[in-house]
Amino acid sequence: MTPVKRDILIGLVLVAAACAVPFLFPGRYVVTQATLFFVWAVVVVQWNLVLGVGGIFSLAQMALFATGAYATAMMGFYWKVPMLAAIPLAGVVTVAAGMLIGLACLRLRGPYVALLTLAIAQVLYVLIVNDTACFTTTGGCMPLFGGVRGIGQFGDLGFRALMPKTWHIAHYFVALGLLVVAVAMSIVIIRGPLGLAFRALRDNPGYAVSRGISRFRYQLWIFAVSAFLTGIAGGFYAVHFRVVGPTVFSFQLLLFLIAMIVVGGLGTIWGPLLGAAVLMLADEGVKELSDYRNIGLGLLLVLFIILQPGGLVRLFSRRPKRAADAKTG
Amino acid sequence: MAEPVLAIRDLAAGYDGRRVLDGVDLVVPAARLTAIIGPNGHGKSTLLKAISGLVRVSAGTIALRGERIDGLRPDQIVERGVIQVPQGDLLFPGMTVLDNLLMGAYRQDAARDAGARLDMVFALLPKLKERRHQIAGTLSGGERRMCGIGRGLMAGEGLLMLDEPSLGLAPIVIDQIYEVIFDLCAAGRTILLVEENAQRITERADSIHLLDNGRFVWSGIGAELMARPEIIEAYLGA
Amino acid sequence: MDVFIQIVASGLTLGAMYAVATVGLSLVYGSLNMLNMAHGAILTLGGYLCYAGIQHLGLHPALALAGAAALCAVVGLLIYLGAALPLLRAEGFETNVFIATIGIGSILENLMLRGFGPYPIPQPLAVPGHVVLGNVHVPLQNLFILGVAVVLMSAVAFVLERTRTGRAIRATSMNREAAQLMGVRVGRVYAQVLAVSGALAAVSGVMISSIATLSPVMGGDPMLKAFIVCVVAGLGNVYGAVVAAIVLGLLEAATQYILGVRWSFATLLLIVILVLIWRPYGLFGRTQVVRL
Repeated sequence: MTPVKRDILIGLVLVAAACAVPFLFPGRYVVTQATLFFVWAVVVVQWNLVLGVGGIFSLAQMALFATGAYATAMMGFYWKVPMLAAIPLAGVVTVAAGMLIGLACLRLRGPYVALLTLAIAQVLYVLIVNDTACFTTTGGCMPLFGGVRGIGQFGDLGFRALMPKTWHIAHYFVALGLLVVAVAMSIVIIRGPLGLAFRALRDNPGYAVSRGISRFRYQLWIFAVSAFLTGIAGGFYAVHFRVVGPTVFSFQLLLFLIAMIVVGGLGTIWGPLLGAAVLMLADEGVKELSDYRNIGLGLLLVLFIILQPGGLVRLFSRRPKRAADAKTG
Repeated sequence: MAEPVLAIRDLAAGYDGRRVLDGVDLVVPAARLTAIIGPNGHGKSTLLKAISGLVRVSAGTIALRGERIDGLRPDQIVERGVIQVPQGDLLFPGMTVLDNLLMGAYRQDAARDAGARLDMVFALLPKLKERRHQIAGTLSGGERRMCGIGRGLMAGEGLLMLDEPSLGLAPIVIDQIYEVIFDLCAAGRTILLVEENAQRITERADSIHLLDNGRFVWSGIGAELMARPEIIEAYLGA
Repeated sequence: MDVFIQIVASGLTLGAMYAVATVGLSLVYGSLNMLNMAHGAILTLGGYLCYAGIQHLGLHPALALAGAAALCAVVGLLIYLGAALPLLRAEGFETNVFIATIGIGSILENLMLRGFGPYPIPQPLAVPGHVVLGNVHVPLQNLFILGVAVVLMSAVAFVLERTRTGRAIRATSMNREAAQLMGVRVGRVYAQVLAVSGALAAVSGVMISSIATLSPVMGGDPMLKAFIVCVVAGLGNVYGAVVAAIVLGLLEAATQYILGVRWSFATLLLIVILVLIWRPYGLFGRTQVVRL
């Protein structure tokens, strides 16, 4: 069976299982937690494309997620744009933001990109949180980007009005749909010519460049493409919780998502998903020990990166790491 | 016969799971010039790196005067008297020629007679004395090569390994470099030399070994090599 | 004129604190290609250890400072042994150790949060009083910080230029393989550099918290700025980093005065991005020839 066929099979099985969940667990809690899991999974799958496949050391993914969320909220709040239009538009805005960040950072080498993207995220956070000027006064003083309290009351997908008792299930399936698209995109990219180009760039940069593969253009492309779904995920997050605030910039959240990728397996198709599932379940498990949650998270990250940097998917793959390498003569 | 300085048996080594050397046997006798030739990419540099401890040995043994050195740390191997002048010089670009040479005598016991050794190196390579306060990154190709060799000589007596000393140099400069190398031979140094092209050394080398695809396929002396044009053509090109 | 003196005074102080924080980072990156993201947490730890020494153990401030630096040097060493060493053997070292140190930093920060609580506390190591220059009151604390920074930077420069250890560190930063071929034990260089970096971070943490306050999350911002300084100077260039730190301090003081605190970081970042577009390897960085 070709790798792509196997991936599609795995995907179908997982989707079938996911569809059954709301009926197996009729209570709200499981479904809403699973919805959140889908959202993070989308972000992490996109981030994996940037980090693991593109080799771009970006820590700006959450900033892009926030861009999508804030764009959606602000379009709804200030211009009364219906959410069904706002979310895709927010995706486009996020792509623009992604391209700006990419243009600024991608000509630099690995560690520089990491630091710069981290700095950009931090600056955005500071700008939002320190803004005390009252932009509007509907319902009290609110800064342009919502300040510390965030932006609310911008509308939603309409399911709450349509299905007052079961709108959470509708959101569940919307999020699932997003995830399916994200994973499909991931499969197409990783297994396709773009993935091959990136592997070439990583394994033998000189040769790849001589064959016309421009690292900068390819990286910019993958950065922008991954920004789209990340922004949409942010938009969905906004309409799901009906409020958007600077908590999305929290470093702990960033750490949580990095841990998902590392634990699952950087650069692989199913790794991020597996990591997201493991981390969400682990988080459930330690909910009681809230103090130790963060320490445990850090510990998990460190242990995995040192002892099993390939992630959990490495345990399932028995193929030698570099099977495609012929002996160079 | 005196004990060989270096005895390598059935060596296998490589990078990242890629095996470059496989089943390599070599004996480097004392006070002789031993040469390794062969096409590029087939393991010559890897062999020197394995001896110096920079590349991990996956099988086989390397013995220095009877004592095994495979598996030791690079600094431990240098301490036991194995000095490599690496391919491409690998000078310290931000340091002066003098500082580079002094780094050659970094080891405690070498540092003690650094002054005397410096005089010896300057006598052998007068150009270096002229340029001793020049930043190494600004030297010409030939000067860099001499600085690299001088740095190696600062480390003292012991096995001297040279990785492609003629690489990237103009013929007239190569002549100068080889003059120095042959002077060292005449003075009784044990030298292991790696070159892609056997031309310069066929007459002077005490033994020549041809490395192809990670193992030695031919050994002998220069005269024998010149008498086998098919080898020269097959492995070393025109 | 008074404004100018004020800006220069605060700018130099900021620059001095950043310089001490940055030198360690630059040394670590230069010699082992490692971005130590736990640096900010170690900085904070230094501040808290000094506080604990003075407040809970009744130590003399100088002793508490020295003790904090020593303990943080040990932390640096532990990071080498626990994270860097195991990862050096595998590929993808730069990325992996970056992530590992992010995790370690988070663990340290959360331990301090648990140990000392989330509320900011004042750093007891402070020199009271001012000096008057023109119409400006310059706190003696600032001059003290400047003095400490100058002493430390000189000590680092001395070690690097005139001691055998320093030569080994410089050689390893310039060319690791060549250094090994000279008989340098690079493992020991790495340990030394991480230990020194830890000690310097601790001192920097004490200095920063003495002007601001001590809180578990105080390390993130200075660490980010220190990294930016390194990036602008060219990662691995220690002396350039010191110069860039001072320039950054002055720039920050100036932009804070002109644009207000809120915009100063953003402006600085913009300047940095522009500099990097102009010079992708940093102002003093060297382009490295990579042999394929």
